[in-house]
Amino acid sequence: MISEPEIPRDWLDDFEAAARRPLPLRFRYAFIHTYKPVLDDASFRSFEKMQDYRRWCDENLPDWLGYGRV
Amino acid sequence: MAAFEYRQAEEIRDALDARGVRYLFIGKSGAILLGFPDTTQDADLFVDREDANCRKLVAALREVGFELTDDQAAEIERGKDFVQLRNGPFDLDLVFAPDGIERFSDAWQRRVEVEGFPVCHPDDIIASKAAANRVKDRESLPRLRSFRQYWMKKQKER
Repeated sequence: MISEPEIPRDWLDDFEAAARRPLPLRFRYAFIHTYKPVLDDASFRSFEKMQDYRRWCDENLPDWLGYGRV
Repeated sequence: MAAFEYRQAEEIRDALDARGVRYLFIGKSGAILLGFPDTTQDADLFVDREDANCRKLVAALREVGFELTDDQAAEIERGKDFVQLRNGPFDLDLVFAPDGIERFSDAWQRRVEVEGFPVCHPDDIIASKAAANRVKDRESLPRLRSFRQYWMKKQKER
């Protein structure tokens, strides 16, 4: 049997704390809005294939947004 | 654009349910519904791309306030792989073919219900992030995998 890695104590504390919060409160803490350059500059975008979307992210978004592939 | 609020989540859930749309919360928004403590900006819905389902989806989106032109609606109804909406009351991404998940029906079978919200199983959320392999996914995956371990243990204890 393969044993699972131990969950770091601070992460476990976070998980336990979140589990005690009702869902509306979790929403309030979790969903934030900050402007993301380029990404937020169009009201609608669609891509035929996921690879088209990934390529567009690679080519158009600032690296620091983290949407580029590793 | 304001942040996605619980009230809005209820509204879109109810509008989608009323039309029988088959969809699942996926990505970090799905993980948050499962209890993952983290932050995100938008909601991600994995939608069954079957024709009638997509038409019902468009009707529900319009009902909750997304201002879709007829051309945009047609693109959603076609079930293009990825649609990003910033023309409504909150930011919403529609994913019809997430990386790492073969078929919608597979994810649907494994889904988890959280207070009426249909959510992808943590294994599917992790699989899609691992397959997408973006910088931001690479950063969040270790903690998400630990959360999956915690969540599975809690499910067994119930």
